[in-house]
Amino acid sequence: MDARYEAKYAAKKRGLHAAFLIVVVLLAALYIYPVFLMVDNSLKPFKEILTNVLALPSHLEWANYTYVIEKMEYFRLFWNNVVITVIGIAGIVAFSSMAAYILDRRQTPVTKALHTFIITPMLIPFQTIMITLLKFMNIIHLNGTTWGLGIQYWGFGIPMATFIYFNFMKSIPTEIDESAMIDSATTFQTYLMIIFPLLKTVTATVVVLDVMWIWNDFLLPLLMVNSSPASKTLVLAAYNFVGSLNTKWHYALAAMVLAILPSVIVFVFLQRYIVDGVVAGAIKG
Amino acid sequence: MDKRSMSPMNRKALRDTLLFTLPAVVMVLIAIYIPFVMSGFYALTEWNGISRNPRFIGLLNFRTIFSSGSPEFVNALVFTFKYSALFIIFSNVLALALAVALTKKFRLVNFLRGMFFLPYIMSMTIVGFIWKFIFTQGFEKLYELTGWAVWNLSWLGDASLAFYSLTLVGVWQSLGFYIVLYIAGLQAIPSEILEAASIDGANGRQRFFRVVLPLLGPSITTCIFMSLTNSLKVFDIILALTKGGPGGATYSATLDIYREAFQNNNYGLGSAKAIVFFVIVLILTQIVLKIFERREVKQ
Repeated sequence: MDARYEAKYAAKKRGLHAAFLIVVVLLAALYIYPVFLMVDNSLKPFKEILTNVLALPSHLEWANYTYVIEKMEYFRLFWNNVVITVIGIAGIVAFSSMAAYILDRRQTPVTKALHTFIITPMLIPFQTIMITLLKFMNIIHLNGTTWGLGIQYWGFGIPMATFIYFNFMKSIPTEIDESAMIDSATTFQTYLMIIFPLLKTVTATVVVLDVMWIWNDFLLPLLMVNSSPASKTLVLAAYNFVGSLNTKWHYALAAMVLAILPSVIVFVFLQRYIVDGVVAGAIKG
Repeated sequence: MDKRSMSPMNRKALRDTLLFTLPAVVMVLIAIYIPFVMSGFYALTEWNGISRNPRFIGLLNFRTIFSSGSPEFVNALVFTFKYSALFIIFSNVLALALAVALTKKFRLVNFLRGMFFLPYIMSMTIVGFIWKFIFTQGFEKLYELTGWAVWNLSWLGDASLAFYSLTLVGVWQSLGFYIVLYIAGLQAIPSEILEAASIDGANGRQRFFRVVLPLLGPSITTCIFMSLTNSLKVFDIILALTKGGPGGATYSATLDIYREAFQNNNYGLGSAKAIVFFVIVLILTQIVLKIFERREVKQ
């Protein structure tokens, strides 16, 4: 092969690579354009949205945001979301890891039956039980409050989390607990002081998956707290708020931006961890 | 084994087992098993959700569901199957293509992956609203600018177009999820295998279809399975975009269950639909899982 051919070949390859890059970048830009339009128009006065959706705002209309923050009681909603998510995650992580620990270490007919009992609900779609769930939660008074909603997530999160923890538990050698037992630690102490700290990576996976799920969940809050204004979640309130605005898009768009802003900020800073957690959860789940 | 014949050692072990699993068992029982059994019971009754005594009517609800007089649920099921089929095809084909592009090495690659993943971290309800804005305000302006008839169609108001709009939005929201799963699968393929294929004279296309794709089996199974279960349960996006309209054309199975119970106050009939839905989801997912697991290449 002569040098001229080789140079031509390299140039062609470079050209192809550049073309490829341009296409992928354009695709990504097009993909995210609806999000850009939302943010862009949320900062315009109402009239400008009607006259030209695609243009940039002539000036930044922050009044849209101050109006929505006040009207929606944004900070209270944000706090509600934090309370529900924290309660939900704490219970799921604690109870699932505990259960998975003992289910892995004691392989008896009893633990096998309990294991099946705890993880089988993964097969039941939420919508199958939502009607009677509402009825039952009414009876045991877990609906209508943020903490009650947080506690409900335990039951829905535990099956998958236990499944993930259980699969991971095998990789922790039993010699570790045995040496703790010799030092006359109880089973609970062994779990809490020795085992739980070793579960960091898998706990991160569970936390990422369940935070994304609980923070953005819509149907369970719709069923449980829609008629109690003080306990509404961010997404639920945004849904009601946008629905009530009809075509007042300037306020609706600001409310939408505010509703997704916390997730986007967290994503920007923790992209790698979130993606890793989502992948690990899907492969193990 | 009789409890008294157990050694103290065994009794302590059993006590630990029960104590450690108790919170999980109780919570799963409360949140899932009890409502599930209740659904099974109320499915056999006529009940408006308020009265204390639901009337037992046997299997009549199930006959109502499949009778020609009330086609809502069957229509909703057909809609759900069509939606799922299209959703599974598009999200997997597009995600695989983009994953191949985004496993190449270039400077912007992490940033671009983030762009495609971004909608996945947003609430589906809000995603529905974003697209409602695009379909109405955005398309109107694009029509003004270009004059192309495609922007002037009623993307949410026409029954068959609304179906495609919902699919588009559903795929748009979760494509990033399938992309990252395929990226993980592609990166797990040992580069020696690809080099060996190249040395044996395989071109790019042959390498992809004969080597990469078969080795991607586990990822494909995961993604098909996930896209199936997620699309069968489609709910939020429809509620935000069309509320089941126009003329009830975009009711999914889950939305129809919701309507039957909480809007028509037929809790008994709604529960029966919920049980039918459960059985269908269970059968479909098991079939798909079996088919794809059998086809996987063992590495």
